Amino acid sequence: MEKKELSESLVKKCLEKGADSSEVFIESSRNLSVEVRNGDIETVQEASSSGVGFRVLKNKAMAFSYSNDMSEKALENTLTRAVSFAESTTPDEYNVLPSEKGETTVQGLYDPELAKVSMDEKIKMAKQVEELAMQDKRITKSGGSGFSESEREIFLTNSNGLSKSYKTTVCSFGVYVVAEKGEQKSSGGEYCNRRFYKDLKSPQEVAEKAAKDAYKMLDPRMVKTQKADVIFDPDVASAILAGVRSAVNGERVLQGASFLGDKIDQRIGSELITIIDDGTRAKGLGSQPFDGEGVPTQKRMIVENGVLKGFMYNTIVAKRAGQKSTGNASRGGYRSIPGIGPHNFYMANGDTPPQEIIKSTKKGLWLKGVTGYGINPVNGHFSGGASGFWIENGQVVFPVKGLTFAGTAFDMLNHMDVVGNDLDLNRSFTAPTFRIKNMQIGGE
Amino acid sequence: MSMKRYFVGDIPRRKFLELSLKGGAVLVAAPSMMSLLSCKGIPPEKEVLTVGKDILDKTISKALEKGGEFADVYMEHRISREILLEENKFKSGVYGISQGAGVRVISGDKTGFAYTDEVTEEKLLNAAQVASYVADESKSVQPINIESEERPSYITVEVPLGEVADQKRLDVMNRANQAALDYDPKIKMVSVSYYDEVRGRTIANSQGLYLSDELPLMFFIVQTLGAGNNTRHMGRERLSKHMGFEMFDQYKPEDVARKAARESVDMLEAEDCPAGMMDVVMQNGWGGVLVHEAVGHPLEADNIAKKIGAFTGKLGQKVASDVFTMVDDGSIPNMRGTTNFDDEGTQMKRNVLINNGVLEKYLTDILSGKQISMERTGNGRRQTFRHIPIPRMTNTFIDKGSDKPEDILSSTKQGLYVQSLSGGSVNPTTGVFNFTCREAYLIEDGKKTVPVKGATLIGNCIDIISNIDAVGDDLAFGPGICGKGGQACEVSAGQPTVRIRRINVGGSRARS
Repeated sequence: MEKKELSESLVKKCLEKGADSSEVFIESSRNLSVEVRNGDIETVQEASSSGVGFRVLKNKAMAFSYSNDMSEKALENTLTRAVSFAESTTPDEYNVLPSEKGETTVQGLYDPELAKVSMDEKIKMAKQVEELAMQDKRITKSGGSGFSESEREIFLTNSNGLSKSYKTTVCSFGVYVVAEKGEQKSSGGEYCNRRFYKDLKSPQEVAEKAAKDAYKMLDPRMVKTQKADVIFDPDVASAILAGVRSAVNGERVLQGASFLGDKIDQRIGSELITIIDDGTRAKGLGSQPFDGEGVPTQKRMIVENGVLKGFMYNTIVAKRAGQKSTGNASRGGYRSIPGIGPHNFYMANGDTPPQEIIKSTKKGLWLKGVTGYGINPVNGHFSGGASGFWIENGQVVFPVKGLTFAGTAFDMLNHMDVVGNDLDLNRSFTAPTFRIKNMQIGGE
Repeated sequence: MSMKRYFVGDIPRRKFLELSLKGGAVLVAAPSMMSLLSCKGIPPEKEVLTVGKDILDKTISKALEKGGEFADVYMEHRISREILLEENKFKSGVYGISQGAGVRVISGDKTGFAYTDEVTEEKLLNAAQVASYVADESKSVQPINIESEERPSYITVEVPLGEVADQKRLDVMNRANQAALDYDPKIKMVSVSYYDEVRGRTIANSQGLYLSDELPLMFFIVQTLGAGNNTRHMGRERLSKHMGFEMFDQYKPEDVARKAARESVDMLEAEDCPAGMMDVVMQNGWGGVLVHEAVGHPLEADNIAKKIGAFTGKLGQKVASDVFTMVDDGSIPNMRGTTNFDDEGTQMKRNVLINNGVLEKYLTDILSGKQISMERTGNGRRQTFRHIPIPRMTNTFIDKGSDKPEDILSSTKQGLYVQSLSGGSVNPTTGVFNFTCREAYLIEDGKKTVPVKGATLIGNCIDIISNIDAVGDDLAFGPGICGKGGQACEVSAGQPTVRIRRINVGGSRARS
C-alpha cells in the first residue's frame, strides 16, 4: 500500500478500535555517512528505515504508540496499545487535534540530485577537507573528517481530514583537527550543513576554519577576575538564544516556569534586539511546510526592537492559552510526541561590521567558545565557561581559555550595545556578532 | 561526523525521552521473555521473531566475503512505556516497539556498518553486503560457526515489567506528585516522568560468539518548580536501575519527590556566586559526573588510538594524586550502567583505571582494544542497533578513601560546597571540562553557609585530579545519561565526598 493510503486507513483503524480522534505519522528515511581519518576511510554506514507514530484521543484523554515493524499485524497491535493507554491518562478539554488544512509553500527542502552524486565523490570530499585542514604545519593530528546525508519523507494524516506530506534532504561535511605545541593541545572543528549538495561550502573554506580554530588558540593566557565587555561570535549565539527559545515555549509560560512569562508586549532588552522564528525560509534547515502535527508554518516576530511579541504554541497548548497554534509543534521523528519548538530561530542583523565591533572595544573578551547550559529558562540565571581572544584597545592581544562568565538574562539583553551585520541564515539557530557591556568574568 | 561532543546531564525532558527511545530490534525467545506475552485483553506484547543460528552464520560469512578480519550481527527488540504526569494531569502515555539489526565489518582500522528494521534473511544479507563495502580483500578470516554460551547475570528481576498493570505505574507517579506538593506551599508545579523498557539483545560474531539476554530498565524523574523570594528554581531528582518494578519497594517515590522539592525550596534563597579560583568540596553521589567527564571520557580508547586524547602515552605514569583511584565497573548488581555483557558481547567486570594516582587502563571496545593492543574491558556500547559500538563508560566512580566527610568540610576554611551538579561536558583532546552546579553553598570557616546560584566549574582534567587532596569514605552513586558522538547511553556516576583545591568558579559577582 502507498504510504498515503496506509496512513489514511490507519487513522480509520484507530477509530474502529475505539478512539474518538486519531493521528498517524509515517516517517521513512535513508541515511549515509562516511568517516575518514589520515586519508583512509574509517567507517561507512548506510541504511534506510521507517516507522509509524499513533496519537489517539479517547474521552479527551491522550496517548501515543509507535513501531518500526510495518507489518499489518504489528501496526494493528501498536495502535490498539495507544487506544488502551488512553484509558489511563487524564481527560483534558484542551486535548484536540488540529484541523488546519492549508500548507505553507516552502521552496528548496528536497534535493533530487543528492542521491545521484556518486559515493566516490562524497568520499573524495571528506578526504579533501581533511587534507586541506592538515596543510598548516601547526596542525599535527586529525580527529577525522566526514560526509553524511539523509533523506526523510513524512506522511501526516488525522481524523479531522488532514492528509499531508513532504520530503527533505540534508547533507553535511566537516573536519576535526588538533594543533599541538609541546604538551599543549588545541582542537578545532568545522562543518557545513545544507539542504542541497551544490550549496555546500568549498572544502577549502571549511578546512581553513577548523585549522584556524585549533592553532589560533595555542598559548592561551589567563586574565584576572574582572568586569569587561563580551563580544559574542555567531558560533556562540546559542548561549543567549537557547534560553530565550525555551522561555518563549507557551507551555512553560503557562506553567509559570519561564523568566519571560509575564513580559509579553514589554521591553525585555536593548532595542537592537529583534528575534524571529521562521518556518518558511527557502532551503532553511529548520523550514517545513507544516509543523509536527500538520499546522502550516509561519514567519513570526518573537522579540521586536527589544519588546517581547509572542510565545510559541502547538494546538493543545494554544487552546489552553486562548490562542491559535503558531505552527510550532515540534516532532523529532515517529517516536517523538509533538512538543513545542522553533524552526529557523535567529536574531536579526544589525548594521555594524564585526571588525568595527572589535575595534571599538577598549577591553573585553571576544567569545568563540561557550560551555554550559546557557540562560536558565526558569529564572534567567546565566553562567558558563568561556574561551576566545582578549581584546585591548580594539586589538586582539592573546587567546584565553578556562575563563567563566555569568550574569542574568535581563542584564545581558539590556546591555547589548551593538549588533553586527554578519548574520548567516544558512544556519537554523543563529545570530550576528553582538556585544554585551560589562559582564562578570572569572579568571585568576 | 567527527564533531566530538560529550555531555552528561540536564537534557530537557522531551529531549531525554527522544534520546532514550531510539531504538530497537528483533529476536529471540529467552524464557524470561515469554512472560511478556501474557498481557490481558490486548494482543501479545511482542511478536517473538526468531532468526535461526544458520541465518546468523550466513550473514557473518556474507559480511566477510570481500575480506576483513571481524564481523558481527547485533539484533535488538525494545518495548518501552513512558508516562508524563504534569500539573496534576497524566498528559500522555507512549507505548513503543522498536526492532532491528546492525551488521558490522572491521577490516584493519576500517569499519563498515549497515542496519535494517526488518529482520529477515534477505534484509540481513543485504545489510551484510553493504557493511562489507570497506573490506580490504588482502586480509580475510574464516568465520567460526557461532555457539551459544551462558554468562553470569548482574541483573535480577522480581517483578517483570511486562506483567505490571499500567495502574501500578500511575500509582507510584501519583504518590510522588502528592509528596512533592505536600512538601511546601512554595512548590507550584510538579512534573513526574516515568519510563521503562525491556531490551532484548542477541549478538553473534565471526569469532564464534553467540549470546542473548534481556535487560529491563527503569527511569523515574521528578521535577518541581519552587517560587518565592522573587525567583524560581526547578529542582530535580532521578532514580534509575536495571531492575523490575520492585525498584519501588526498595526506593520510595515519595523520597525521590521530597528531594527534588527540598532543592527547589532551599535554592530560592540562593545569592549571587562569587567568581574566581576557590577550593571546592563535592558531596558524595552524582558529583562523580565530574570525573566521568573530566577523566572518564579522555580515557576512552578511541581517542587514545587516534593519539589525540589528553591521556595519550601516559599509561603507567602518575597522573593524579596518591589518594585518587578511579574505577569503571559494569558488573555492580542492577545499577543503571550495568549490563551482563557489553553490546559486543564482552563480559562486564571491574576495571581500575587509575590506581592511587597511576594510570593503569583505558576503556576499550573491540576495535580500539585491537588498535592499542589492550584487553577488551567491556565498554563497547551502542545506543541502538542503528549505531556502531564505541567505547563508553558504565558505572564510573572515584573509589572510597579514608577521610570523614565532616572532617573534609571542617578543614576547608573558605570555598564552595557543591551538593549536586546538573552535568557538564569535556573536550577529550584538550581535557578542558565544565560543569554547572544545581545546588551549591559557600563554605565559610569550615561550615556550609548560604546557597549560591548556578555556578560553573571549569578546569583541565589533569590539573583537577592532581589537586584532589581529600577523599571520603562515603561512596554513593547517581543515575545519568551520557552523550557521545550522537549516541546516548545510560550510566551511573559516583564518588565519596572529595575536596579539590583551586577550581575556577564562575559567578556573577566579584569576591568580597
